[in-house]
Amino acid sequence: MVATVLRLRFRILGNTLARRPWQLVGFCFGVLSALWVLVAVVAGLIAVGLLQGPDVARTVAVVGGSALLVGWIVGPLLIAGMETTIDGARLAPFPLTTRQVMAALTATGLTGIPGIVTALGAFATVALWVRWPAAAIASVPASALAVLTCVVATRFMGTLSTGLGGNRRSREVVGTVVLTLLIMSGPIVAGILALLDSTGDLVARFTQAGAILGWTPFGAAWAVPGDIAAGTWLTAAVKFAIAVATLAVIWLLWSRALEASLTSPPQTAARAVRRGTLGLFGRMPTGGVGATWARALTAWVRDPRYLRQLLVVPLFPVLFAFSAGVDSALFTASALAAAFVLSVAGYSDISYDGTAFATVLASGVRGREDRLGRVLAAACIGVPLTLVIAVVTLAVAGRLEHLPAVLGGAWGLLLVGYGVTAVSSALIVTPVAAAGDSPFKSVPGQTFVSGLLVFVVWLACAALATPALVLAAIGVATGSALTGGLALAVGMVVGGGVVVAGVVVGGRTLDRTGPDLLARIKAFPV
Amino acid sequence: MSESPAVPALQLTGLVKRFGDNVAVAGIDLVVPAGSFYALVGPNGAGKTTTLSMATGLLRPDAGGVRVHGVDVWADPVAAKAMIGNLADGIRLFDRLTGEQLITYTAMLFGIPRPDIAPRVADLLEMMDLGDAAGTIVADYSAGMTKKVALACALVHAPRLLVLDEPFEAVDPVSAANIEDVLRSYTASGGTVIVSSHSMDLVQRMCDHVAVIAAGRVLAAGTVDDVRAGESLQDRFVALVGGRHISEGPQWLRQS
Repeated sequence: MVATVLRLRFRILGNTLARRPWQLVGFCFGVLSALWVLVAVVAGLIAVGLLQGPDVARTVAVVGGSALLVGWIVGPLLIAGMETTIDGARLAPFPLTTRQVMAALTATGLTGIPGIVTALGAFATVALWVRWPAAAIASVPASALAVLTCVVATRFMGTLSTGLGGNRRSREVVGTVVLTLLIMSGPIVAGILALLDSTGDLVARFTQAGAILGWTPFGAAWAVPGDIAAGTWLTAAVKFAIAVATLAVIWLLWSRALEASLTSPPQTAARAVRRGTLGLFGRMPTGGVGATWARALTAWVRDPRYLRQLLVVPLFPVLFAFSAGVDSALFTASALAAAFVLSVAGYSDISYDGTAFATVLASGVRGREDRLGRVLAAACIGVPLTLVIAVVTLAVAGRLEHLPAVLGGAWGLLLVGYGVTAVSSALIVTPVAAAGDSPFKSVPGQTFVSGLLVFVVWLACAALATPALVLAAIGVATGSALTGGLALAVGMVVGGGVVVAGVVVGGRTLDRTGPDLLARIKAFPV
Repeated sequence: MSESPAVPALQLTGLVKRFGDNVAVAGIDLVVPAGSFYALVGPNGAGKTTTLSMATGLLRPDAGGVRVHGVDVWADPVAAKAMIGNLADGIRLFDRLTGEQLITYTAMLFGIPRPDIAPRVADLLEMMDLGDAAGTIVADYSAGMTKKVALACALVHAPRLLVLDEPFEAVDPVSAANIEDVLRSYTASGGTVIVSSHSMDLVQRMCDHVAVIAAGRVLAAGTVDDVRAGESLQDRFVALVGGRHISEGPQWLRQS
């Protein structure tokens, strides 16, 4: 049965790659970079195993292994997206027990590129213990346990984020909460590291971290061979027990979550508002601009896929404060980083409409009206948010006198970004998670080409925003109020000009490309 | 409508669409007279949805032209689309909005004056029996309710031509009868409807014109009475399209 599902998975992968050359290119790059990482890791492990003592080997194994598990849990959610070609929901109609479904999902996780690389890398830790045969032997089952834990944990997270029981709204809420926690985990870790910073040098810190992590579910399996090498058999046994218990507990939780997500119908309990509650649709002026404005702004505040992009924004000041301190130039520039992310968020805005873009197209609304509505909606969020971040960060740093310069850079960048994306989103559509799907879902064909296009959009934004950014930098560096004011003026004027140009050019482009964009969206894999 | 008026409501000339090697529409000519209730019937994969997408400006034809009341859809899409009410098949709606918001949004897109919007939306919600679900998000609607709210969106700007792709699919019999009444009085008042459907009984009862298409070509077109030529439309359709085979199904499927 597991073999059948595996064959299905590779057949799907083969069909997808055969039909989409760009995805094949991306896939090949993925394999190559994975191989490169693997070679580097194995070489490092051999070097440590031959040249260093057991303490270093143990620290490397435990800290590296713990990081690996964290990566498996967080990575798919934050970076790569959940792989959902084969997931519980798709296997649900077949006569399989939950246990069989879990075995199949674990097997598909193990046989993906990350799974294979992790398994090879984990078994290569044998090299760490070449001089301690008992530890080397013990490292094989311990590594197997650790790899299984990684795969099962990531599948558990996937089940949690995409289908934890019940109705659509609760899924969206759970998804957003998980995301917020994940985003905040970065600063929390940074804070812990900053605390440890005071206790000593880097090696001592890692040794200490390794000693602690070896007793936690994250590193227990990886600590077993090291303890055996050190001759402390009892601790080794206890840690092995911790590792086994970890896997068992995650497996059990996963099976509960999976059962809940498979047996509860995906869309039940609808939440209705009172009739006549029109929200923004009752307030905006009628016409193409007002309609688009109302709908796009509703999406910015309600749609988890847009919220996901908003949630990253407060991360910047926090991250910069922890990594460089509140006195740093980096922290002062938080508003600029936020503006940048906010402005390029919509570089393929129509992708988020999905095939519902047909409604816009069928209405014959002019391209420039659509562009203007979308820019206005994005600006309703972006402009005040950048202002708040600029004021708060500068107030914390005690440098409010730099506000005009920073705002000039930030708003200049933001407006330029809106202008550029008004054009780019009339040309580019990328496969994205559909409305109502988990915003964490990875969509085939998304990463490689869209990554390249994003880069082009970034370059255009950076080039057009250069005047305001340079003036802002000079203004902050010299403390000149005049230059700061000039930065604000230039940012607004240039930015305003780019927005107008973007709406006009993007509008004309959209008038021409609208039907082609819809055809491309329809052709995306579902 | 015994005589077709000078300017047809919808005129398709030589429409062609290929998807790769697959020819979905292989040269379709069709004249839909103003005020007619026109049906487009054909087997699965015949090219009905592709044809209607090209007719409404959603899919660029490889060749051929589309005119709506004399306006070229692909040369002047803004003017043409303002006259079309479109219920497309196989697309999503902005289903994060409530039904009421979605219809209001569509009305705003067409630039209906603000004071007219609320009464129209209220009428449409009543007409489609969606009053109780007005505040519910469209994603939480059943398939039939989604179809009805899409139909309401197609009607909200009082178009001269209604293009409805499978309008009665999954709609309950009571709502279907109500919608049928509305469409009849709409055509009686001079509006034009073109529907695609798989229900021959419904077409024979409701429509005055029909075109049978298969493999991207028109096999027969004209008034329903002309096309069926004394037979039932069902029998005539099967005779035109072919492919009917009498069989008890495979042995392994039989339960005894």
